Amino acid sequence: MGRLDFARCALLECVLRERGAVDWIAVGLSVDVPAGTVVPRRVNDTDMAIWCSAAGKLHAWGDRCPHRGMRLSHGFVRGETLSCIYHGWQYGMDGTCSYIPAHPQLEPPKTICARSYACNEQDQMIWVALAPTQAKTPDAEGRRPVRSLEITLPVAKVAEGLGHPMSSLMVLGGVYDLAVALQPSTQHSCVLHAFAGADQERKQVSRHLEKMRAELESADA
Amino acid sequence: MILYDYILSASCYQVRLMAALLGQPLTTRAVNFHPAKEHKSPEMLKLNPKGTLPVLQDGDLVLTESAEILRYLTRDTPDWRGQDEVWLSFAAALNGSIGTARLHDILSYDADIDAVRRAGVQHLRQLEAHLVEQRFDGMIFLTGHTPTIADIACFPTTALAPDGGVSLDVYPSIRLWMRAIRSLPGFIEMPGIHRLHELEAAP
Repeated sequence: MGRLDFARCALLECVLRERGAVDWIAVGLSVDVPAGTVVPRRVNDTDMAIWCSAAGKLHAWGDRCPHRGMRLSHGFVRGETLSCIYHGWQYGMDGTCSYIPAHPQLEPPKTICARSYACNEQDQMIWVALAPTQAKTPDAEGRRPVRSLEITLPVAKVAEGLGHPMSSLMVLGGVYDLAVALQPSTQHSCVLHAFAGADQERKQVSRHLEKMRAELESADA
Repeated sequence: MILYDYILSASCYQVRLMAALLGQPLTTRAVNFHPAKEHKSPEMLKLNPKGTLPVLQDGDLVLTESAEILRYLTRDTPDWRGQDEVWLSFAAALNGSIGTARLHDILSYDADIDAVRRAGVQHLRQLEAHLVEQRFDGMIFLTGHTPTIADIACFPTTALAPDGGVSLDVYPSIRLWMRAIRSLPGFIEMPGIHRLHELEAAP
């Protein structure tokens, strides 16, 4: 990306942010983060660990253990806690460290805390906000989520290719009654999370999305 | 049954994993593949003129192809066999792309690294698309509700993709498929593929 393009993207982002258009960013389907699992997600160059407790409570944390900087997404979920794979430090629902295996008698100070982000589940999609927001999570209006696909293009290029102004949830309509949420991951890539009409055959939609991605990527090549 | 083995080889791990999942005893003989190139030694070439690993020896029988070894290990367990053939060839293709990228990065193999990584991403996208459709039908494995040699053939190279600079973060269905394999009773680890700690009681 040229310097000018990059400046334009940054400017666009500022404008969008002021309008509150991208407060909530989809990071994946709920069904892809089942209870008891943790996954890595990159959101606007911020690494996150998205995890779901045994009871089904979702969390979005910075993907970094405060102890040694290991990625928490390499860790594991036991009950209502997330443990780091490196030394087993265990973090509770509020992000504070609740247990250090090497010092079982110690009550960890509350200052040992994972960074947490706002995280909501709506329409079986997981949404996060990088900054505190008053906005509501987008409503998919009865559509159901189909799948997520990585696209090796910056998010602005994809929105442009789809011929749609950038927003948290872009309703494309068409045969499959599509609505898509774009997750900017790096400056060169993004993830498209797709909803389709509730009665659409998901295999057909998935194949259509594959084709859509191929067209978007080849148009830019 | 003797496996001539190299701990960091995805193909050797495939054989160790299959035997472990089947509960079959396997004697491993460590071969110094890197840096000593012991798989090209006169003794090893006598056993396997191709000079590759893995080599499985069972009495007079010597097998040197990964797919053939998986078929041999499961010859009496039809549950582990399905519509596997296309996936056994796909596993070979994965080895050529992300497998080669990994050997380039960890053992300094010659490769057009950008080209093999690009091919690897295409392979992973294909695998993801297939698993997405399997999950729509309520199945988590490549050919059905239960694992077969297709899964065991494709799993190691896929799981080790990050060693070759290819990320798996953006493939939710591949991740859940790998998790299902790592949850199988008898699952064993290798460097780069760890077990699921949460399946065991807290120490």
